[in-house]
Amino acid sequence: MNGARRGKPALIAVDGVDATAVLAEARAALGTPGRGGISRWDASGVFQDLAVADAGAGAPSARTLLLLYAADLAFRLRWEIRPALAEGRAVIAAPYVETAIALGRSVGLKAGWLTALFRFAPRPAERRFVHPRHTRALTVKDGFVGFACDRMVIGPGIRTRRQITERTVAHLRRSAQRARRVRS
Amino acid sequence: MGRPTPATIRLARNAARTHFTDPSRQRGLLVAFEGPDGSGKTTQRKLFKTWLNSEGYDVVTTKWNSSDLIKPIIKSRKAVRALSPEEFSLLHGADFRHRVEQVILPALWDGKLVIADRFLFTGLARDVARGLDFDWVLKLYEPLLWPDLVFYFAVTPVTSGKRVTATRMPNFYEAGQDVTDVDDPAESYQRFIARVIREYESLALIFNFITVDAEQSIGDQHRRIRELFLEGERRPWSDWNVDAVAEWLALNGRHRS
Repeated sequence: MNGARRGKPALIAVDGVDATAVLAEARAALGTPGRGGISRWDASGVFQDLAVADAGAGAPSARTLLLLYAADLAFRLRWEIRPALAEGRAVIAAPYVETAIALGRSVGLKAGWLTALFRFAPRPAERRFVHPRHTRALTVKDGFVGFACDRMVIGPGIRTRRQITERTVAHLRRSAQRARRVRS
Repeated sequence: MGRPTPATIRLARNAARTHFTDPSRQRGLLVAFEGPDGSGKTTQRKLFKTWLNSEGYDVVTTKWNSSDLIKPIIKSRKAVRALSPEEFSLLHGADFRHRVEQVILPALWDGKLVIADRFLFTGLARDVARGLDFDWVLKLYEPLLWPDLVFYFAVTPVTSGKRVTATRMPNFYEAGQDVTDVDDPAESYQRFIARVIREYESLALIFNFITVDAEQSIGDQHRRIRELFLEGERRPWSDWNVDAVAEWLALNGRHRS
């Protein structure tokens, strides 16, 4: 998080599967650097710790990873997002809730559970989505979706990270459409 | 190809029901030991396990906050007192889910008897005592897996406090110092455990726990647990568990076997 100039506080969510593109969009959304800061995935270091866990501990399921994502988001809200908003600054949450929900939906978790899980997260003032133009983004390695695809137990119906990523992108496109409908 | 289809889910649910209701197979049993710190659960769990082994049961034990994957994450954050109630709750939910998938369900599927030294009710009691919403916390633990038997070791807050502080000071989160704002761990524990016990007592009613008077002698409690277990072990498989088992089967591709 950076920036200190006071202005209109706003939480802007940027979601997508490609971490690099999401960060670029977050910087664009932030505009003037002094306006606020960017809250990024794994600020709490939970996933960093998970990455070095003993392989014998067993691979986590998507559900377990989403509980950890929610814990990390709770940390980001406590230490980055809410304090910045309280100081009158803008915060770009990149990624925010929709990326995690889309990943969960892509592996068959129920929308009701996912929505309830993230109930503690405040509604952003603005939602932005970063969709891949080409299939390049479907092999992303960075970010939460890439991390999850690399490590989670994948059922026999969904065999590759590419398929999960494609489905996550599809869910994010639908979320973007819904967000547009709400705006208009 | 894609996410689990309705046909896959149906197949997994049928496989779960068939497996757990097959009279020719030794059915896995899940027995949970619940209660506040200092209620003597662990002592009783060990005695119970020894007895079960002597009776020929294949027993697997799982403890609260013990998954090899998540426990180190929680431990390091507890050490620096860095957890909010939400983070505390979510991380313990993740630990529980990982153990359900890696330890509990595989053992039950193989017909073993699983003793859980604390179950999801511990999360519910502590998190609600920390001020979190009951429905939200319960949701974290879905798809729910209900034990065949839950033994609840009932003690008063005073007894719990005396037993815990007799040998050591409760740690920061055990004492609930993150929510009581009381500097003295023993005093904080006394306040916090009273809230936790209140929640446990509600849960005992809602979820039909078998209450054991944990103020009785160790021997009397153990004999009572044996009797209650023998009365309860013949209960039919609870279809409430079908979603939890089906999700695990689909995840591992075992619904086809």
